[in-house]
Amino acid sequence: MSDNARTLALMGVGLAVPTLLVLMWMGTAKTSLAESKGAASGVAIAQASDDTYCTPALKQILRRVAGACGLLQEGGRGCKPGDAKNVAAMNGDDFNALFLPLKHRVKIIQFDAEQTVLDDGATSTIEKAWADQQGASFFFVVARASPDGAADKNQALSQARAEAVLGHLTTKFQDPDLKNEVGLLWLGEEYAQLSGDFCDWQRSRVGGECTAKEVNRSAFVAWIDCAI
Amino acid sequence: MATREGRLGLGKNQLEDDDDDDFPSKGGSNGAKPFLWAVAIVAIAGAVFAGLSTADFIQHLDRQVHSIHCSFIPGAAKEMGESGCRTVMMSPYSSLFRTSMWGGLPISLLAFAVYSYLAYRSIDFALKKTLVKKDTLFLVIAFSLPLLMTVIYFYVSTQLVGAVCKLCVGIYSTSVIGFVMALLAYVKSDQSMASPPYVRWFFEGVAYVAVLVLVYLLAAPTNDKTLEGCGTLAKKDDPNQILLHFGGGRGGSPAIAVLDPLCPACKAFDNRMIVSGLRDKLTMDVVLFPLDKTCNWNLKESLHPGACAVSEAMLCSKDEAPKILDWAFANQESLIEDAKADEAKMRARITEKFPSVRGCLGTAQAKLKVTKSLKWAVANALPVLTPQLFIGDRRVCDEDTDLGLEYTVTAMLAGPRAAKGGH
Repeated sequence: MSDNARTLALMGVGLAVPTLLVLMWMGTAKTSLAESKGAASGVAIAQASDDTYCTPALKQILRRVAGACGLLQEGGRGCKPGDAKNVAAMNGDDFNALFLPLKHRVKIIQFDAEQTVLDDGATSTIEKAWADQQGASFFFVVARASPDGAADKNQALSQARAEAVLGHLTTKFQDPDLKNEVGLLWLGEEYAQLSGDFCDWQRSRVGGECTAKEVNRSAFVAWIDCAI
Repeated sequence: MATREGRLGLGKNQLEDDDDDDFPSKGGSNGAKPFLWAVAIVAIAGAVFAGLSTADFIQHLDRQVHSIHCSFIPGAAKEMGESGCRTVMMSPYSSLFRTSMWGGLPISLLAFAVYSYLAYRSIDFALKKTLVKKDTLFLVIAFSLPLLMTVIYFYVSTQLVGAVCKLCVGIYSTSVIGFVMALLAYVKSDQSMASPPYVRWFFEGVAYVAVLVLVYLLAAPTNDKTLEGCGTLAKKDDPNQILLHFGGGRGGSPAIAVLDPLCPACKAFDNRMIVSGLRDKLTMDVVLFPLDKTCNWNLKESLHPGACAVSEAMLCSKDEAPKILDWAFANQESLIEDAKADEAKMRARITEKFPSVRGCLGTAQAKLKVTKSLKWAVANALPVLTPQLFIGDRRVCDEDTDLGLEYTVTAMLAGPRAAKGGH
């Protein structure tokens, strides 16, 4: 082979090898691009929480309560005992049982007898509860009163307790979403009274005596992790 | 050593060969041959390194995430995840003309062409019956190009990108060794009066580069569908004031970046935005989307522990948010490690560095701000990933946020009509 032929052959091989490799790689990339569905096609979409405890039955009740109490429309109107009982369409124990899976989320804000004033423990507990929203969409405040005294007075008392919680949230956080997220239920002494078992739950007053009476002088607050 | 008789015995062939028409001095050039073969081997090694780097780059033209070569040993197994090789490849310095074509023209392709040429030329010299200093001088000059690029890119890699790619180190090494070997071949080769065809050799090298560039430009896959964006913002309003205003160039187009302060991809994305000059073309707002399960309910496992705490700090002190983000990007690994070990200490570290967040970090209000930021993502049905970029209301497709960022954003800013002309 002459020197010129050798040079030409070497030059040809030297150029052909990288050229063919680039063409081959490009072909593979082109095929892969044509077959691809986009980088984010398998990525989850950010969404509100929908915890495992949100059974269809629970969601139905929550939807009824939230709807009937105005939460889904204009927000914050609240439900009195009659409303709650009717829309929940269940007895008080069954109503309370709905909240059992939320034990880790619920905080019980305690009040003195015949009082609606939030003490320091109550305000800090409310703030902690509110700050722990995570992906939840609705914040329920379920206020009660102990059976001591007249039923209508206790109904007014529980309403004032629920509104005290709402008032503190409004003042403290000035959150524009608050109106659409907080639902109030005031149950007085007439519906879904708590048993003494709820003394074991997270309360604003740690220690001290706790019976069914104390635990019902309360507002039961919790974010509900259900997409309703 | 070639003898005078031996060289004279080539007489007829020499007359036919441009390369061999010089007249070597006494002493012969066989002493240079071993160095020329060494140059050839080094050039082939350089071509292999550059070729692998080019292959890695090209496979990403399908807009997907791939494993890449990252070893000093050519052909060693590829690897996934973050590495110096990936950081360098994704940096704006890895290719040219990024605003004109998706991904741009990879520098490694040019290196592939040059090393292939050098391999051919050094083998050709090594096979020559007679070799003179002017031949090997060409090789020395030719190798000074990769050597110069090595100096430039080593500086870029260490000083501007902040990461070193093993394949690149392979290329750097071959350029240095190749240059030294060429120099030794030059020293060992004979003097000659004849003038080698330098111009022809030079244009051969140019032809190598031109052919590969042309092939690349003609064969590069195109997909301009993504220039229309991947979705729009449904609820751009910000009643909870969670948008962080990072500003940008005067009169820049409005844009929103969804970031996690402890996400390495966000750090790389931010770096690309700055280095490419895109940040100056945009008026940037930032939405925080920490991929940390302590505040983000969309995750079962934290990808970046501590990201919630840093996000709280940024929302606590909005004026200092850009500084906090830069600091978090610069200390991602140690912050994540601290958060894994003891988040309280990590929070104390943030407070110590940015005293303005004291009294806010860790409070209910701070946590709520982060929740509101995440809720903004929910309201806009964003994918659970970072980074994300919106130009106006249009979301830049995720596959366009790395190699194709400059091209895509430039095209989206220019409008749909301009985008259609892209490669």
